[in-house]
Parts: sequence; structure tokens; C-alpha cells
Amino acid sequence: MKNIKISSKNVNVHYGAKQALHSVSLNINENEVTSLIGPSGCGKSTFLRCINRMNDLIDICKVDGSITVDNEEIISDEVDVVSLRSKIGMVFQKPNPFPKSIFDNVAYGPTIHGIAESKTDLEEIVHSSLKRAGLLKEVKDRLHEPGTSLSGGQQQRLCIARAIAVNPDIILMDEPCSALDPIATAIIEELIDELKANYTIVIVTHSMQQAARVSQRTGFFHLGELIETGDTQKIFTNPDNEKTQGYITGRFG
Amino acid sequence: MSNQYSHEKIIQLRKKRSAADRRFKTYGLIATLMGMAILFFLLFTIFSKGYSSFQKSVIELEVSYDQETLKITSDSTYEEQVKAKFFRVKKNAIAKALPDLSKKDIKLIKKMFSINVDKEIKEYFLNNPNILNTTQKIFVTAHSDVDQLLKGNARRNIEEKKRKLNDRQLEFFDEFVSSGRLKTKFNNFFFKNADSRHPELAGIAGSFVGSLFTLMTVFLLAFPIGIGASIYLEEFAPKNKFTELIEVNIANLAAVPSIVFGLLGLGILLNVFGFPRSTPLVGGTVLALMTLPTIIIACRASLKAVPPSIKEGALAMGASKMQAVFHHQVPLALPGTLTGTIIGLAQALGETAPLIMIGMIAFIPNIPTGFTEPSAALPVQIYLWVESSERGFQEKTAAAIMMILIFLFLMNALAVFLRSKFERKW
Repeated sequence: MKNIKISSKNVNVHYGAKQALHSVSLNINENEVTSLIGPSGCGKSTFLRCINRMNDLIDICKVDGSITVDNEEIISDEVDVVSLRSKIGMVFQKPNPFPKSIFDNVAYGPTIHGIAESKTDLEEIVHSSLKRAGLLKEVKDRLHEPGTSLSGGQQQRLCIARAIAVNPDIILMDEPCSALDPIATAIIEELIDELKANYTIVIVTHSMQQAARVSQRTGFFHLGELIETGDTQKIFTNPDNEKTQGYITGRFG
Repeated sequence: MSNQYSHEKIIQLRKKRSAADRRFKTYGLIATLMGMAILFFLLFTIFSKGYSSFQKSVIELEVSYDQETLKITSDSTYEEQVKAKFFRVKKNAIAKALPDLSKKDIKLIKKMFSINVDKEIKEYFLNNPNILNTTQKIFVTAHSDVDQLLKGNARRNIEEKKRKLNDRQLEFFDEFVSSGRLKTKFNNFFFKNADSRHPELAGIAGSFVGSLFTLMTVFLLAFPIGIGASIYLEEFAPKNKFTELIEVNIANLAAVPSIVFGLLGLGILLNVFGFPRSTPLVGGTVLALMTLPTIIIACRASLKAVPPSIKEGALAMGASKMQAVFHHQVPLALPGTLTGTIIGLAQALGETAPLIMIGMIAFIPNIPTGFTEPSAALPVQIYLWVESSERGFQEKTAAAIMMILIFLFLMNALAVFLRSKFERKW
């Protein structure tokens, strides 16, 4: 039995008067890839953004219920979101490297959190992060060119390198491949598979094939409710719920 | 056959549509050409009226620096030399400016020289003290009336009464010209003097420096306050009715006529707080109030234009709110902010009405050396000169406009330079 890394109980999210999540309870295991699938607007991204409190940025968004990370409650005003986010990296749908050099992009997290003790330390962190993100070979001769000069797939791997540079426990990925071509997608998927040895990964995806390829466990969301969760293999071959069956066989969504 | 029919209709309509395209292109071209023509006409008029102001008329005088008249000796100290009787030397020189002058003639010819001639004779001596007891041929500044006649700005073939120079003076004038003793040279006074009652001595330096000090005050006050306010309003302030009210009022403030800010300066800064009147400090403070809304609006617009994904990325990395704002959003918003600031400053540079209100219209014959010294400003100087009845000030007005335009062009060039320097692409 794997350790439970993230555990949510009865999480409700409201955007103003509209309820986006209805009592979601989901456990996420350590060092596994958990994918969240479901049709557009079902609340899977909203749930993902609860884990690192990114929903705080939206004024009208209200989150209640309980989410624990390493058995510590995070849905509370007393939680310091800045240190929480240093433990939880995030990769967005559209690659969003800072308009700075490749080096500075990766070095940003370690710098603001004071992780690197010296310049050589920082260089070491940048190199190892780029290496773990599978990007070092392609960029090692042009670390001082802008991160935005890279291709879309490279930019996304740069964002992954940036996220792992602060050595988080968890990486959240919000449809990381939706803006990429199949080759770049394959590279990222391979990378996710490697990263799971060290990180707990939660990935939101629109592609059921992707969920089947990369994840060990899958949660299916529909209209703000978590319909079914279980081993990926089971969800995609023999789901318990009719709606899940309908979605994975393409009858709706 | 209905297909055939509708296709013909499309072709017919297409002809109309392309004709409309061509028409619109022509209108656009005409509008552009007209705009350019008007601009060219404006610049041409200003230049053709103003360029003569960069020249001044000088008359050659034979000055004899003899020691009895000056009442100094070759052993005199510098202080004694400074106090020497140069006005007597000048008097003698002018009396002998032309041969065989009667007493009446001397009175008339004296009026053809600038009152600055004593000083010029003195300066020439102080620079070459070994010329004591020699006679020197020096070009000294002519009176503005002579200057205007020589430049062709004043007419001579009109009634004597309507002329500044009478018939006898015209004879002198012609004699000076025919002997090559009256000529024009570069007008250094225009660039190094402050305002003067005498057109031939009036210069732009006083008001230029005054404008510089005023703009510095505006920048130092409005830039930090404007940036601070916009960052707070855009990123940190809660979104409620009160901040909404502030936002609406900033937009309103940008539309308040500048003279109202001038009255505010007069009523509050001068009368309540007792700021020194007519100084760049007050002028700058008033103009800073006027410029603030422009800067705030420009800065907020450029902060808004920064893609939210950058801020999200930074926050998701665990940056604090301030770090996200200052490391990522502010640098990206900087080019737009600087452009807005410089547009605001350019606007402040050209403002006249508020400066009149706080007394910067006073006649200041000195170049200011600080923020709290009475001073003029370029637009007010233009206003003062255009009001002056003496013909000599006309060309000064045009030349002052040229200076303010050059100032503006330089500022805009700076804006373009800064924008391209700080602009980052992604």
C-alpha cells in the first residue's frame, strides 16, 4: 500500500453563486502519477488549483472542506501559501517561461527561496534541473538566450525544470501537452514517467490516451463531481460507473 | 441557371466594393498629405521667422583705451581695472563712430548702439589687458532697431514718423553698411542670456534652465508617486466601491483644465503653505499634479497588458506577491510606463496657464540656479515675448518656439529609445 500524499475531504468550490466542485474527496498517493479526466468545465483544473491555493488569486472563488498535504491542513487562512507553493510545483497549460534567459528562468525559484548558497551552487541546481527535465543537452550552449526563443515543447520542459529547481514534493500539471505537437508530447510523457520516482504528480488532461499512458490512478470528474476514482487500468477497462463508461467510450464529453 | 445569375451579381457587387476600397485609400492619402502640408507650413513659418534670431548685428567701433580716460595705469590691479571708466571710452568711441558728427548727430547715433556696449568694451579689455593706450577696432552689438532693419524685418520706405530710425539715422546706417562696418554674426546672447527689456540682449537661457528645473520637479514628484499609486491600485488594492471611486476620479482628474491646477497652486501652495512665488518648485508641483493622472493611467494600462500567465507562473513558484509584481510585472510594464511619463512631461513642458497663475510670468532677467529661485519657463517666455510691442521680440518668439519644439523632439526621441531598450519580447 502506497503512502497517501494528498488527501481531500468534502471540498466544495464556489465561483460567486455558482458551485464548481461538489464535495470532492480524493486521495493521491506518493510517487505516483494521478490523472484527472473529464469533459471541459467539469472542475478538474479547479480541483488542481486548490492543491497549491492558486484559486486564491480569483477574488470570487471560495473553497471549503479539507485538503491535507503530508497530513497538514492547507485550506486555512493560517497556511503560508508562499512556503506551500515552494513544496508544490506547477506546470501550466500554455508554456509560460519568464521573459528572461533560460538560466534565469530556472534560477528564479532557488534565488527567491534562498536555496542556493553560492553562485556555483546555483549553477549546479540549474544544470541538474535542466538535466532532469531532459533539456540540458539542447540548451547547454545557449543558457543566456531568452527562454522564449525555445520551441513550445522545449518551453514546457523549461517550465518543468523551473518547477523542480526548488525541489518540490509534488508537481501539478494542468494540461501540460495541450499546446504541443505529438512528438513534444511524447517527450514530456516520457519525462513524467521518469519524474514519478522522485515526485508525486497530479496531471489534468483532456486526452484519455495520455491518462492511460502516464498515470497509475485516474479520477473522473463530471459536472463538478468526482464520479469515480481508481487504478487507471480499471477505469479504462472496467469502470464501475455508467458515466465513466460513457465518457471513456466517447459517448459524451 | 440561378447559380449563374447570383455569380454575376457577386461580380457586379465586387466592382462596387473594390471602388469603395480605392476611394477610401484616396481619402486616406489626401488626409495624410494635408496633415503633412499643414505641419510643414507650420514648421516653415516658425523657422523662417525665427532663424534670424540666431544672428545679431554688430557695428565696428574704434575704441581708444587710453589711460587718462580710463583712470588706470598699467600697474592697476584687476579690481581697479574692473572699476575703470569704460563708459567714457565708449562715449568717445561713439562720438567718433563716423567723421564730422554734430552734437545732435552724436545723440542720434548713440541710440543705434545697444546699451550693452560698455560691457563689451570692458570685457574686451579685461581679456587683453596689455592693450592699454592702444586703439582697437571692436565689433559691438547694435541696437535692435538697427538689427531689425539690417535683417529686413523692418521697412525703411515708410514715413519717418512711423519708423524707429529717422532719416539722419538711416544715413548713418547706410554709411556703416557701405563701409562694411555693420554686419551680422552668430548671436551668442540668445543662448547665454536670460530675458531682457532690450530685444538684442534677450536670450532663452533663463527660461530654458527654468523649464529644466520645473520638469525635474515634475519628474521627481510625479514619477514615484504615479508608479506607486498605479502598482497599488492595480495589484494590491481591494476591489470595492471605494477603489472604483478613486479610479473614476483619476480619469476625471486627467480631464481637468490646467488653469484649475494653477489656481490650486495659487490658493493652496502659495497662500496656505507659503511656497516661494514664481519658482520652479511651485511650477513643478502644480504641473506634477496635472501630470500624475496621465502617468497613473499609462502605468496601469501597461501593468494590465502584462500577460497574467507570467504572474501566475511566478506565484506558483512561490514568489510573494511583491516579488511577482516587482520581478516580473513591473519590468514588463516599464516601457509603456516610461512612454506615458514622457508624454506627461512633454505636456507639462508646454503648459502656460498654470505657470501664469503661480507667477512664473514675472520678468526675470537672471538665469535661475536652483529650484527655489524665481524663474521663467519656455512657454511663458514665448507668451511674454509675443506680447511685447517691440519688433525685435517677434523673431525671438519664433526662435523660442523652435527651442521648445527641439526640447520636445529630444524628449520623444528619449521615449522611443527607452521603449526599445526595455522592451522584451516573448
